[in-house]
Amino acid sequence: MAEHHEMPPDKHQKLVKAVRLEWISILYLLSAIVLLYFTLGSSQAMKAAWVEDILGLTPPIAFLVASRVRNRKPNDRFPYGYHRATAIAYLCAAVALLALGAFILYDSVSKLLKFEHAPIDLVKPFGDRPIWLGWLMLAALAYSAVPQVFLGRLKQPLARELNDKVLYADSEMNRADWMTAGAAMLGVVGIGFGLWWADSVAASVISVDIVRDGWKNLRVAVDDLMDKEPTVVDDSRADPLPLWVKNELMLMDWVKDAEVRLREGGHVFLGEAFVVPVDNEDLVGRIDRANQHLLDLDWRLHELVITPVPEIQRPEPAGEGG
Amino acid sequence: MNPTRSSRRAGPLLAAVALLAVLAAGCGIPRDPESTLDRVRGGTLRAGITASEPWTTLEGGRPGGVEVELVERFATELGAGVEWVDGSEADLMAALEVRELDLVVGGLTADTPWQAKAAITRSYATTRVVVAVPSSQPAPDDIAGLRVAVEAGTDAAGILEDKTDAIPVRVADVTQVRGSAVAIEEWLLADLDLRDTGVHLSKSKHVMATPMGENAFLVRLERFLIANQGEVPALLDKAEAGR
Repeated sequence: MAEHHEMPPDKHQKLVKAVRLEWISILYLLSAIVLLYFTLGSSQAMKAAWVEDILGLTPPIAFLVASRVRNRKPNDRFPYGYHRATAIAYLCAAVALLALGAFILYDSVSKLLKFEHAPIDLVKPFGDRPIWLGWLMLAALAYSAVPQVFLGRLKQPLARELNDKVLYADSEMNRADWMTAGAAMLGVVGIGFGLWWADSVAASVISVDIVRDGWKNLRVAVDDLMDKEPTVVDDSRADPLPLWVKNELMLMDWVKDAEVRLREGGHVFLGEAFVVPVDNEDLVGRIDRANQHLLDLDWRLHELVITPVPEIQRPEPAGEGG
Repeated sequence: MNPTRSSRRAGPLLAAVALLAVLAAGCGIPRDPESTLDRVRGGTLRAGITASEPWTTLEGGRPGGVEVELVERFATELGAGVEWVDGSEADLMAALEVRELDLVVGGLTADTPWQAKAAITRSYATTRVVVAVPSSQPAPDDIAGLRVAVEAGTDAAGILEDKTDAIPVRVADVTQVRGSAVAIEEWLLADLDLRDTGVHLSKSKHVMATPMGENAFLVRLERFLIANQGEVPALLDKAEAGR
């Protein structure tokens, strides 16, 4: 893979590792999807687990696409570069997740209310020995659960190091996927014991989880597209970098007042700084030196435009939940 | 959620599922939610029938045919008697849905539209309608322009009309046609001394219907059908001879 123009060498190593991990994830997920497809039967829970596995493909694909696209330098047709491509892909995936989750939830709950009993019959996969499909379902679900535990564990620290939200979302998805498979297994075992409702209940629980995932991802995607303030990789709080940049500026003796606004472009930050200089002496030189200093602060700060202004207009504080 | 916490929860959950699976293997899985198999065993099998020759017949109100034979044998295996109820497919399926019947037969095929109301078994026999010529004649390379006798009012007649270039000649009973090309059930070829032209008009996978979710009963019936599907050609011949 070519050297990334947005990343220091040690981070680049991690990226190579993450890319390899995502390729493994995609191949593994595809095999699990095929396996589940052939053992779907009439189980609602199996259907839900299958859909979740299919949707589980979107974060790795988004990550791999982004890791290529963001390597492209801005050009005259796309002067801001290609960072937004990821955010758009992410929005689509979130909407799909939400819609499918809602559909399965509706389907499962209505089957539960109609007291529908799921039939699971015999299959003959190996020559002449018939076997109850339920056993194959359990085997397929186990296959779609166990590796996800480890994949998720490997991805999470990489996501933090690379400041990559897509990768982080993917590790979360792995967690959701193995829990889903576990719930579906309980549903199938329930059918085996003659508990007709177990399957629909498991499917409902899974779909609530899919809907919640979809809603969460949708919010993040919309926030990103609206240039919300940068947040840390698990989205739990605001990233301190804008404040840090502002403080660095305020510490410069030629700066009377300063304000910084940054937005996320994939895994890096871009934005503007407004400064009120004490006087106009060597303004171009001062701004240039300040820019160099600030860009060296943190590798994630990718582009900063410093603009001298006579007076700073600060944004209003947002209401709660804004 | 941090990784150590999630993996700590993964272990016990997966272990519990594995344990359940092992336990389950030892005690008659799958089970019926409404105990159909237990009730039928040594008791009465309530079977619905709708006439569809040669699979099911109701001559003089008496059930007969391939599927009736199979169901009677299945009941014998379970030490049960069969109580036959005849009616339209819609009536029987409605009764099956509320478990007033344990089984419905009547020439049902795997593409039945009743899948949402009944648990359909895997198919125990596949039949085809083929275009055949008397074995005294060579099989034609192409059936285009060939006059083919076909039973009136069957899907084979429509398929022959729309999907092939043969000229369908609609007749009341193809088994009575001699010396001409016919569209006929593949299993009748040998009896009527006919030769397959290789043109297959339709394929039917034959199934039975059981109540939704009564998985022990369904699996027991399927095991019986798998064990006895070799008998179907003989039963078909017997049904044909009885006509």
